[in-house]
Amino acid sequence: MASISLLNPKAEFARAAQALAINISAAKGLQDVMRTNLGPKGTVKMLVSGAGDIKITKDGNVLLHEMQIQHPTASMIARASTAQDDSTGDGTTTTVMLIGELLKQADIYLSEGLHPRIMTEGFEKARDKALEVLDKVKIPVEINKKSLVEVANTSLKTKVHPALADLLTDVCVDAVLTIASADKTKPVDLYMVELMEMQHKTDTDTQLVRGLVLDHGARHPDMPKRLENAYILTANVSLEYEKAEVNSGFFYKTAEEREAFVRAERDFIDQRVKKVIELKRSVCDGTEKTFVLINQKGIDPISLDALAKEGILALRRAKRRNMERLALACGGTAMNSFDDLQEEHLGYAGVVYEHVLGENKYTFVEDCKNPLSVTILIKGPNKHTITQIKDAIRDGLRAINNTIADKALVPGAGAFEVRAYNELVAFKDTIKGKSRLAVQAFADALLVIPKTLAVNSGYDAQDTIVKLTVEDRLNPELVGLDLATGEPMKPVDLGIYDNYIVKKQILNSCSIIASNLLLVDEVMRAGMTSLKG
Amino acid sequence: MDHTREILTFQFGTYANYVGAHFWNQQEANFRYEDESDQVAEEQLPNNDILYREGLNALNRTTYTPRLLSVDLAGTLGHIPVTGELYGNFVQRDGELLPLGTGEELQRARQQAEESGVSASQHLDVQEQPQAPISEYQRDLLKNSVAPEKNYKLAETANSWADFLYARYHPRTLNILPGLVRDPTVQALGTYSAGTELWQGAAFNDEFCDRIRLYVEECDGLQGFHVLFDIDDGFGGLAVKCLEHLNDEYSRASFALPLHHPRITSYPQADSRLSHSIRVVNSVLSYNQLSEQAAMFTPLSTLETIWRNTNLKSRSLPGIQWQADNLYQTSALLAAFLDTATLGYRLRQTPESLLRFCERVSPSGRKMTAAGMALPFGLREGQDLIEFLDQSGDHALLTQLTPGCEPGTSYVMQSVTARGIPAERLKRPREQAGEQLRMAAYGCDSVSHMLQLYYQCSYHGSVTNAAATPLPLKTQLPFPYEMFSVGISGNGLRLPGESEREPGTRVDSAPMLAALQNSTKLGEHLDNLHAQTHRVQLAKLQAHSNSGLERDDYETALDQLLEFRDLYADSQYL
Repeated sequence: MASISLLNPKAEFARAAQALAINISAAKGLQDVMRTNLGPKGTVKMLVSGAGDIKITKDGNVLLHEMQIQHPTASMIARASTAQDDSTGDGTTTTVMLIGELLKQADIYLSEGLHPRIMTEGFEKARDKALEVLDKVKIPVEINKKSLVEVANTSLKTKVHPALADLLTDVCVDAVLTIASADKTKPVDLYMVELMEMQHKTDTDTQLVRGLVLDHGARHPDMPKRLENAYILTANVSLEYEKAEVNSGFFYKTAEEREAFVRAERDFIDQRVKKVIELKRSVCDGTEKTFVLINQKGIDPISLDALAKEGILALRRAKRRNMERLALACGGTAMNSFDDLQEEHLGYAGVVYEHVLGENKYTFVEDCKNPLSVTILIKGPNKHTITQIKDAIRDGLRAINNTIADKALVPGAGAFEVRAYNELVAFKDTIKGKSRLAVQAFADALLVIPKTLAVNSGYDAQDTIVKLTVEDRLNPELVGLDLATGEPMKPVDLGIYDNYIVKKQILNSCSIIASNLLLVDEVMRAGMTSLKG
Repeated sequence: MDHTREILTFQFGTYANYVGAHFWNQQEANFRYEDESDQVAEEQLPNNDILYREGLNALNRTTYTPRLLSVDLAGTLGHIPVTGELYGNFVQRDGELLPLGTGEELQRARQQAEESGVSASQHLDVQEQPQAPISEYQRDLLKNSVAPEKNYKLAETANSWADFLYARYHPRTLNILPGLVRDPTVQALGTYSAGTELWQGAAFNDEFCDRIRLYVEECDGLQGFHVLFDIDDGFGGLAVKCLEHLNDEYSRASFALPLHHPRITSYPQADSRLSHSIRVVNSVLSYNQLSEQAAMFTPLSTLETIWRNTNLKSRSLPGIQWQADNLYQTSALLAAFLDTATLGYRLRQTPESLLRFCERVSPSGRKMTAAGMALPFGLREGQDLIEFLDQSGDHALLTQLTPGCEPGTSYVMQSVTARGIPAERLKRPREQAGEQLRMAAYGCDSVSHMLQLYYQCSYHGSVTNAAATPLPLKTQLPFPYEMFSVGISGNGLRLPGESEREPGTRVDSAPMLAALQNSTKLGEHLDNLHAQTHRVQLAKLQAHSNSGLERDDYETALDQLLEFRDLYADSQYL
């Protein structure tokens, strides 16, 4: 009898073996859902909601978010996987698979009477050993286009069709290389890569724009639609007549007086517009150059009119984050006041043009001199396709950035897991006592990755594992699974690489979560129930 | 300035969306199309462009949708896809409705996904959730076969605001909170601090702020915001944070309308006492912020009081009966108020603006105002306004919709809007005037003028702004027309004596009066709230929510609430 039931007879509880069974079954359940998603040959899920909303994904993290997880154990695993995504951007499915498998393997020994504490101690040793192996097999890389393409391609191929993956890889790598510092030692600020989406019925294409694409356009019919050789003025200055403060009613005696007040306020705005126009005249008159104003605040129709008369293209209500990006893409400074406008505050773009699509307008700011901020433009026939491509691009960018940070890669295609298995099996014999069983369990669990890869590609799991482990023992180099043939191959030759940090994170988080779940010996549910009135 | 003075509307929370749904239904019931001949003068019609935007969908059809951002829990949308129904991007699950809308067939969507290369191979695994039920009214609406005389029993069957929404929303409009599912018995998003936390989370914030920006970018002369929100639960925190963002970014007037559920609210894992604490604290924190951030705010509820009202004692409007806890019916009343009260600055060619409207009824920091309404107006069939006002005597025309406060009849600042009283019912022409000639009000030539005079005479030391439009409140489907008692005629007038409306006929429209009032007595509303705080178990609350409610923050809010209350102290002040 659990002590809680003395205090609260209504409490539900499960003890020891029963508690463990609950945790293991939850982990297995989650594993079953995610199993088919792993690897390039995994299935893609199209989720259709009750009202007809569509979501297409195979990203483990997205799926976990979509499934409203109620089971406490399952939601704990899901959180580990989300954390994995937050810190590295990849490996979410692997995390779920591995936790499930660790518990499954542990269960075999636990049911024979092994104490969970010994199990977790063994897991710890095994994890340390595995991390050692990981450090040994990692390949230091030079940061160049080739290595980045390889790692991005490996990550993207697991998310989208190979043909599309190749396209996205190029786009992602080019994007990062454009804005990276010259020596490419520091990871880039991924916020400086803007993802812009465009829904277009017949066009599926993703392209890199070396500049910026804004999701709004000019709001005046007479403004130019296309400008070349353009000065760009970015500003955060209101150009609309509006009583700003809520309690600033002005007092007047006569209608004329009121008019005068209004005119004075209006004049204040007009002065600002005039300053912009003066600057435009001084830098553009007599040359081929043109002028674009991009403002974070509003611009009212009267100001727009004045600007249009001068042939200035003016955009209002730009995204706050775009102000920073604009300065990086075109040069110049974002102005907070027009009091001291100089030519040096202006940025430059080779061409600025507007594109209208249905009710949406886009403005392209292109041909910048030395863009430190770029845009990836995603075109797709519908929202869910775009979202799926966007998710994939995000992961690809993260993979590239991780590589720059790690300066090392790990051969993919299950190669690391197979090597770690072999090393762990050898390591097991050096350990005294029952915890060697746990090392064995850990080793077995790692094999779930190559196994699932094989199954998802239509090969026999045991066959593959036997082939791979034998091959790995004979070879000093790492050996992975070729999904096209089902035979062992060298991932290094085919350019299949994973991120070092992703693998490291997986090993760490999985063993910790699995250990925590194993040590649970009582699950209870008690507390106040909501009173329904 | 001749360009449109746009208003952007926000709806935070389920009840806010109920009220909103009725509000937009009312807007569309009042749309006039060019071929319609009408006796209403042009300048007395509402300017729909203030609240609506014109767009173009993927099929190149023009759309006209509310300039609206709505936030709700998953599960409240029912059959409505999150992207709305006008711009495609969803699967139409119902075969019968497939050819009618912009939705796609599942097979086609699947094929498209494969063609566009997002699926890695031919493995596209389709997982369908059970189809959301679609209400009979919506089904008929989509098939364009709504029978005006059919009884859809919406009051009993409406499960969510989606079931009776006539208006159609833009894909930008609907936002679903990540990871929160609607539970009909408890508030899934319980506390104010949970709401503020949600606002700060990147998952919600980035997208939502971007949507605001896109709406504002379209506007030539944005004048402000209407913010409807549920104050009893965490949506209060969300709305207040949003107001803060709006002030920082756009500095325009915002008119906030905190709505109280007409039910006893309960929260997950909280007994009734703790629930009470949560609700009080939610209100205290919201009021405190509203008094700073909003240009004006008006708490609304159909209940008489919101504290210790266990048997749900409701306000009563003569001529109307409703179930006190019915969301569909009560929200219709609040929406009718909102529509009428805001008409003043939404008419065509009006010089009035939201900011001036707010300033006028909320002088010197008294930002909280009270709502009053008369629906139906009470005019008898064949009676003129002048007689009606004359005979009303001391009897108040209005019923209060702000819980726990009565603005009284002296030293009141108010803004009154009358609708649906035609000019010919003002008074009789001189040759038939008889008795009416002797009344002082006979000199008035318009409804607004006469109301102004009436309030001048009957309210001591008060300032009244009256506006009027001959446009009545439309009470056909999907308005809960069944609320009207049998003593009300088809056009919303009181029938003389004991006579009843012909069975089988319905009330199609009704005249009404709505007012926003401000007086010293509103301080009582704040006193009521403050009195409730003595019983708050703050320690227990902190343990309950885990969502960072600091004792200091709460106590500062309480102090500031008292300071705000002091603004209402001077009884002679106008």
